[in-house]
Amino acid sequence: MAMEITQILLNAQAVDGGVRKHAEDNLKQFQEQNLPSFLLSLAVELANDEKPVESRKLAGLILKNTLDAKEQHRKYELVQRWLALEVAVKAQIKACLMKALSSPANDARSTASQVIAKVAGIELPLKHWPELVGTLLSNIHQLPAHTKQATLETLGYICEEVSADAVDQDHVNKILTAVVQGMNSSEASNDVRLAATRALYNALGFAQANFSNDTERDYIMRVACEATLSPEVKIRQAAFECFVAISSTYYEKLAPYIQDIFNITAKAVKEDEEPVALQAIEFWSSICDEEIDILEGYGADSSADSDIPCFYFIKQALPVLVPMLLETLLKQEEDQDQDEGAWNIAMAGGTCLGLVAQTVGDEIVPLVMPFIEGNIARPDWRQREAATYAFGSILEGPSPEKLVPIVRIALNFMLTALIKDPSNHVKDTTAWTLGRMFEFLHDSTLDSPIITPSNCQEIITVLMQSMKDVPNVAEKACGALYFLARGYEDMDPSASPLIPYFQDILQALYAVTHREDAGESRLQTAAYETLNEVVRCSTDETAPLVIQLVPHIMTELHQTLDGQKLSSDEREKQNELQGLLCGCLQVIIQKLGSSEATKYVFLQCADQMMSLFLRVFSSKSATAHEEAMLAIGALAYAVGSSFDKYMPEFYRYLESGLQNFEDYQVCTITVGVVGDLCRALEDKIFPYCDGIMTQLLKDLSSNQLHRSVKAPIFSCFGDIALAIGENFDKYLIYAMPALQSAAELSSHTLGAVDDMTDYTNSLRNGVLEAYSGIFQGFKGSPKTQLLVPYAPHVLQFLDSIYAAKDMDDMVMKTAIGVLGDLADTLGFSAAPLIQNSISSKEFLRECLSADDSMIKESAEWAKMAIDRAISF
Amino acid sequence: MTDESSPHRRDPIKSSVGNAAAERRRQNAVSVGKERRESLMRAKRFCRVGVSTAIDDNDDSPDHDMVIDEEESILEAQASSAVEELKAAVAFQGKGAVQKKISALQKLRRLLSRSEFPPVEVALKAGAIPLLVQCLSFGSLDEQLLEAAWCLTNIAAGKPDETRALLPALPLLIAHIGEKSSLPVAEQCAWALGNVAGEGEDLRNILLSQGALLPLARMMLPIKGSTVRTAAWALSNLIKGPDQKAATELIKINGVLKAIIQHLKNADDELATEVAWVIVYLSALSNMATIMLVKNNVVQLLVERLASSNSLQLLIPVLRSLGNLVAGDSCTTYDLLVPGHEITDSVITVLVKCLKSEHRVLKKEAAWVLSNIAAGSVEHKQLIFSSEALPLLLHLLSSAPFDIRKEVAYTLGNICVEPVEGDGRPKLIVEHLVSLVNHGCLSGFIELIRSIDAEAARLGLQFMELVLRGMPNGEGPKLVEQEDGIDAMERFQFHENDDLRNMANGLVDKYFGEDYGLEESSS
Repeated sequence: MAMEITQILLNAQAVDGGVRKHAEDNLKQFQEQNLPSFLLSLAVELANDEKPVESRKLAGLILKNTLDAKEQHRKYELVQRWLALEVAVKAQIKACLMKALSSPANDARSTASQVIAKVAGIELPLKHWPELVGTLLSNIHQLPAHTKQATLETLGYICEEVSADAVDQDHVNKILTAVVQGMNSSEASNDVRLAATRALYNALGFAQANFSNDTERDYIMRVACEATLSPEVKIRQAAFECFVAISSTYYEKLAPYIQDIFNITAKAVKEDEEPVALQAIEFWSSICDEEIDILEGYGADSSADSDIPCFYFIKQALPVLVPMLLETLLKQEEDQDQDEGAWNIAMAGGTCLGLVAQTVGDEIVPLVMPFIEGNIARPDWRQREAATYAFGSILEGPSPEKLVPIVRIALNFMLTALIKDPSNHVKDTTAWTLGRMFEFLHDSTLDSPIITPSNCQEIITVLMQSMKDVPNVAEKACGALYFLARGYEDMDPSASPLIPYFQDILQALYAVTHREDAGESRLQTAAYETLNEVVRCSTDETAPLVIQLVPHIMTELHQTLDGQKLSSDEREKQNELQGLLCGCLQVIIQKLGSSEATKYVFLQCADQMMSLFLRVFSSKSATAHEEAMLAIGALAYAVGSSFDKYMPEFYRYLESGLQNFEDYQVCTITVGVVGDLCRALEDKIFPYCDGIMTQLLKDLSSNQLHRSVKAPIFSCFGDIALAIGENFDKYLIYAMPALQSAAELSSHTLGAVDDMTDYTNSLRNGVLEAYSGIFQGFKGSPKTQLLVPYAPHVLQFLDSIYAAKDMDDMVMKTAIGVLGDLADTLGFSAAPLIQNSISSKEFLRECLSADDSMIKESAEWAKMAIDRAISF
Repeated sequence: MTDESSPHRRDPIKSSVGNAAAERRRQNAVSVGKERRESLMRAKRFCRVGVSTAIDDNDDSPDHDMVIDEEESILEAQASSAVEELKAAVAFQGKGAVQKKISALQKLRRLLSRSEFPPVEVALKAGAIPLLVQCLSFGSLDEQLLEAAWCLTNIAAGKPDETRALLPALPLLIAHIGEKSSLPVAEQCAWALGNVAGEGEDLRNILLSQGALLPLARMMLPIKGSTVRTAAWALSNLIKGPDQKAATELIKINGVLKAIIQHLKNADDELATEVAWVIVYLSALSNMATIMLVKNNVVQLLVERLASSNSLQLLIPVLRSLGNLVAGDSCTTYDLLVPGHEITDSVITVLVKCLKSEHRVLKKEAAWVLSNIAAGSVEHKQLIFSSEALPLLLHLLSSAPFDIRKEVAYTLGNICVEPVEGDGRPKLIVEHLVSLVNHGCLSGFIELIRSIDAEAARLGLQFMELVLRGMPNGEGPKLVEQEDGIDAMERFQFHENDDLRNMANGLVDKYFGEDYGLEESSS
């Protein structure tokens, strides 16, 4: 049944585009006409040692791609397709794959490993390939090192691919034994050792039981330590990667080893090659992550997550850890600031230092200060930059009491350095450090402010001057100004010290957006976002200046819409700019729309604004669409019910936004805009609801749409029901089943992972908001009775989320509100049901005594509504 | 799965501001939407429970919107400072003292009316009650009295303890509902008192002993819109009992009965609703009131209301009043609801209307009223038997929720027996029984026998007894057996309830004893 396809596979990699295209078409045709034969042919090709390695490798890759896809929906289809193949065909393919593991050709083996793992990912959970692990393990004892290497690699991939519960403990033990043996220093082949070390990395997640056993754990740790001493750099790197994984998976088991690990990592950071040193630093960053999490849990006195105690590894290692990290800061690369993707020891060291500061707080300060003081004024730019970087890194974590006195002294020095230092690198880090000072230590509520009327002017002057510096420095200066403005966000804006400089600041930022080189170092983005933040801090007094800005921004946006021919690179930049300008208008609309006086002025150009936004939709950029949607949402809210007049034209864009499965963020934002429209238009949105509801229901039933959009869609049902009231009745028969099935799905957390709990709760919240909106919308209408049949299910849902005991505060508040809305709207029709529900008893009681005032408030309301409902 | 990429690569601490800022801005846009949804929902809930909405807040200040959104803690801080301000104002003796007091009261009142959950606790802790009592002192300006009473109203609308905190203020609040007070002041005070009365029996007794009943009753007399309504509402709370004394006293007060009749005749649905609740408690608790109401043609008025209105809020108390009147005094059934009289037919008509209603409560109460009428004379039974109600009742017996079925069962059972004289077994009305059984009602009763509710089970057994005894040609046992009645009764063989056990075992022995079945096979 297998066909000879070597030539086609080779042609598919030909230099000549025509030949290549033809070959690709052939492959596609073959696949469509006879899938089993196609797959088998690929497997046979891969397993045949007489074939050229190029065709074998491609055969393997194509095979792999028929088994897995990134996109969930597609992946599901592929899995089903594989499972539907005849058992005999699958057996033949699998035999070929296993054979390929022994091939002398490295590429063939490696490709086969990956394909086997994909098949395992499908079949092991279904127990379709029970002999796989046994067969692989028997390979381990075979002679050729390359077979052993490929087998270990395969085991590693399998551990990465399948979940731990699909493999029984006996197999896990054997896999780990094989892996650890392969890692052993007695293993002669470096390839085998490397494959084993990498396999251990993937197998760690399976090793819960083994890590609970002292002897086994000691052994695994010892072998991993040994691997860090291997002469082969890749093995050392892989070994440190294992330690990083262990630090997050088995933090609580590390205490006996931490001293040794410190010694090993310190040595690696000091003298090993960069890829190894980076992983050694990463180990400590990861320990910081763990301890920050645990300590946060302590602070929030939540008993749920704090079953792992903090061992204070960072605190204990502090006296040696900090000097080690400070040392790394001096290993900067020239021009790393101009390179967005740069990552090196100095950057990793500073990042780790920042995490250490967050972990231990005040204690880090005396350990870092001597380094700063000793280096900040040195002639070598590396020393000045490292000192500044160290300072900037520790500004988050220690208390303001500890930092403010130091920052006060440092501030002047930094302002001078920002203008006068000859090194761009130093200036870049200085501006960043100023930004960090403002981000963490400048806040209108702090008792002793670092910014005073006397230094405010100088700070602003220096930052504005620095905004004219080279793009990377200017970008950081914008960032500093951003945090400076943000610090005043919560205070009475008219008292903000920025107000006297408002015009200068706006002008300076506007000028930055127009710099020729604004496209470098993300300067343009920083300038616009800072402009937005400044606008947000505007007052009645400065509103005229913001109003003046409106026509300028609109003109800019207009210019980006001119239909000139652009290269794809230019178009991308232009789309980015469109997004920024829409974002800027969104903030301006929000700001000016919040006061009657200014709203009136900008509403005069609402028509033009709207037509500009609509034109942005003709671009292909998802980001630009999102921003235009957000701006329209803000406009709708500001305009209110007369937004009606834009609806006929806007509606089709709204609809296509709701249909945008691919860029699901666009879809999410559009769903949010529907909510804005509901609140703006109220019952005037009714004529559009058939279309909108149809689209939303389609979205829900599609398995192509990203799951995160579902919750907002449910909330949107609530928005619509609130807006159109009892007219929602015609959608009940569609909306209610959708809500019910989502409710059932989310009654219990969909998985053990935290991430899933969050998702489940967001889904619950969406469903509950829908119910609230619907009940409230129908309240007092004669159609209320239509809701009675749904009441049992709603109450059941409330009972079940209460019973599941994993809801967050938000869900709790919304849920108890729904109980109240149900009682309020249905009254005594639902009284017996309500009285029989757990929600009206334990749940309500729990909410009434909740600490969260919002929950309590909702609960009190619910109690009142219930009392009235059952008093008949 | 490729060799090159290193799995651990975190974001550098030194990053550009743009991404984070843009992310924050979008998050902000999204959360603004959420907040607006939330405040809309809260506002909708709020405006429904708002205690003070009936009174024009004509000095509504422009800061209204902002405060709703404010944190509870801010509201609380404001409340305690408002009480402090009031304290200062009360102590202040100089020029403009009254104005000062009024404006402090207004401030406090606004805080207490503003949010759905006003900062009552804080206000109480800060010592608001003694100050408010002081502001109620005689001779104060109406405006001041109104504001103080309003504050107290909102405090009384709170939790039980908060309501109780009003105790020291009650005498003065009662004093201000007297005839000398201006109407707005009196109404506001009545409102506060109504809230207190609704809280519990002990508070009602205190109010009654302090003489709240008479002035409140007088407030119901003139036709003055919301004042009457508020007074009626407060009265219905005050006479709730369980002691019947207040109800009897109320009906004896000169003019009250006349006012009730007048309101029931002319008032709009809203006022009629409150008045009907007064009638509910009068008729439920006081025999004397029941007799007086029946004598004065209130049944007719209630029937008219039932016929003309579709407001559920109104129909419920009216129907319950009617039921109380029919059940409470046998004269009603025998003397007033004479079969053939027009009023009797209208009662049946409105009850049919209620039985047809979608609302469970109406159905249940209507069935209850009918069961009381069905307990009347043979003519009453015939009347129901031949009315439109019968098919509805039969349908409800098989399909309605349990509590309604029970009421229906009473009615149907009553239709089949003559009124009991002496203590013998009730005599059957065979014609009715046969007809009902032919309409399939036996299974409904047997269903009740299976119920865990003893009363329902008894009803079922009683009806079964009728069937066993009364169906012509000894057909009864067969019918019962066909409907699995024996099985249903066997459940009681060793039942802990003596009555039910004896009843069921007696029936089984009597009708399904050793001889049962033999007859059949031998014949």
